[in-house]
Amino acid sequence: MQIAIASGKGGVGKSTITASLLYFLKDEYKLIAVDADAEAPNLGLLLGVIEWEEEREHIGAKVARINTESCIRCGICMERCPYDSIYIDDEGNYVVNELTCEGCNVCGLVCPVPGTIALEEVRSGVVRKATTKYGFPIISAQLDVGRPESGKLVTEEKEWAKKIMEELNLEHMVVDSAAGIGCQVIASLGGADVAILIAEPTPASLSDVQRAYKVVQHFREPAYLIINKADINPGFTKLREWAEAEGIPILGEVPYDRAIPESMVMLKPVVEAFPESKAAKALREIAERIKGEIIG
Amino acid sequence: MQIAVSGGKGGTGKSTVAVNLAIALKQLGTELTFADLDVEAPNDHLLLGVELANEEPVVQFMPRFDYSKCTKCRKCAEVCEEHAIITLKDGTPFLMPNLCSGCRACEIVCPVPGAILEGQRLIGHTYITPTPYGFTLVTGKLREGEERSMPLVVAAKKKALEVRKGLLFIDTAAGTGNTVSKAVEFSDLLIAVTEPTPLGIHDTELILELGKLMEMPTWVVINRADLGEKEKVYELAKKYGAEVVAEIPYSENIVKSYVEGKPIVLTNYPEAEIFEGLAERVLKFIGGGE
Repeated sequence: MQIAIASGKGGVGKSTITASLLYFLKDEYKLIAVDADAEAPNLGLLLGVIEWEEEREHIGAKVARINTESCIRCGICMERCPYDSIYIDDEGNYVVNELTCEGCNVCGLVCPVPGTIALEEVRSGVVRKATTKYGFPIISAQLDVGRPESGKLVTEEKEWAKKIMEELNLEHMVVDSAAGIGCQVIASLGGADVAILIAEPTPASLSDVQRAYKVVQHFREPAYLIINKADINPGFTKLREWAEAEGIPILGEVPYDRAIPESMVMLKPVVEAFPESKAAKALREIAERIKGEIIG
Repeated sequence: MQIAVSGGKGGTGKSTVAVNLAIALKQLGTELTFADLDVEAPNDHLLLGVELANEEPVVQFMPRFDYSKCTKCRKCAEVCEEHAIITLKDGTPFLMPNLCSGCRACEIVCPVPGAILEGQRLIGHTYITPTPYGFTLVTGKLREGEERSMPLVVAAKKKALEVRKGLLFIDTAAGTGNTVSKAVEFSDLLIAVTEPTPLGIHDTELILELGKLMEMPTWVVINRADLGEKEKVYELAKKYGAEVVAEIPYSENIVKSYVEGKPIVLTNYPEAEIFEGLAERVLKFIGGGE
């Protein structure tokens, strides 16, 4: 089974909750974890991974480069670039900003001087693997700064994870997705059997989780909700009302608890670092419901 | 002048810092336009307590094939870097709309005039919202299900540049991919919001790297400064030639004002002074000081 965890908004506790749920599930199930936030991967850190066993470079991003020698400075490339990624530098040369180029090659196609603009393959980042101290493997990735399409890295992560699942005869993949609703999140949710949404009771988080849920609906996946920091905004009932109106079962509520940031500093899931904390107790109940109702 | 607030990791308090700093700057008399370029999860309007207004669609080019003219030469499919055009055995092209980035490469290479027609797809919206704080908010919002946020960041930033008055003040998405670079591009100052947990520190390094690659003066604001090891943030900032300009303690008042949608800088809580102090530093920076 493939379980994807998403939230829309960053910082609502996706990775914290994922790490804790993995901790509770590890003894009964054969798991693999995938950190699908390739731009800001943190799940490995929360599971205490310091060194990666295997790292694969991902070459696949493309950026355009302009040969200033043969460039006749006609400016057509700059005019036609859909992303405004070509500019004129201090010396009057047309230059591609590699940090914003999407690699579509329009500049190369419109350039009147053959061979002046070419697409070059560059490294987009790395995909890597480790075995956590809890025994299950984790796949993570790191997009290089300023590179496009972190979604492709996520797709590669999931493919690698599937191979490992076959090799090691694992049953479940737990995917911790990125913030937002773009390519990384779509790659995270694609192919999942179930989505667990995490939100906190604030207008911003509600707005973002509603957007993430629309993406989940595209994939026609059953969704569940976990409310994190459930007690920070007692008057705010809209999150619960929304879930009920949409028929999204609420797996549980995790109270705001300083044990969580403190466990992050210790690089441990909160349920391991502070098993008696109120957050850990709530997470334990949620894990039981996941075992009973989702994984079965 | 253009200033961007970013931070690598999600949830470090980017939007809180951006919103409060913008209000404080305006209160000090700085004319500004605020752009929310976190197009996948735009929230600044919620923190500012306003409803998005003046919606405008952002549409993107999408090829439509006129099969009566198409010669099935496959050039369009070959040139498509996104592999959004697939061809049947006989060469008949089909578009997978979700993968299309609207770049027009297919249209450029098509040898038959009129075989590729102008199609359009709605990918999101921009909004221009007046706020009660004396500045305008420009927001970009990607449509759910769309994979590519770059075209929307480009459209929203263009819109912001069109309507801008005075300083362009930008809030970006989390991460350090090229859509964040696009939002940050051409800023005179990058303000990175971080938290001193190991996770926050890891992601701060990436955003500092981006500031360095973009050759931009970079400041660091440490949020929840009492959680974790802030010395490490100082070390990191030093390594990248960035300056730590403010520390915000973990504060119930900030959490409270955040969940209530009341910017803390407008309250009498002592934390308001942190943002006022930061705004004064920014003002000095804009004025050509430092």
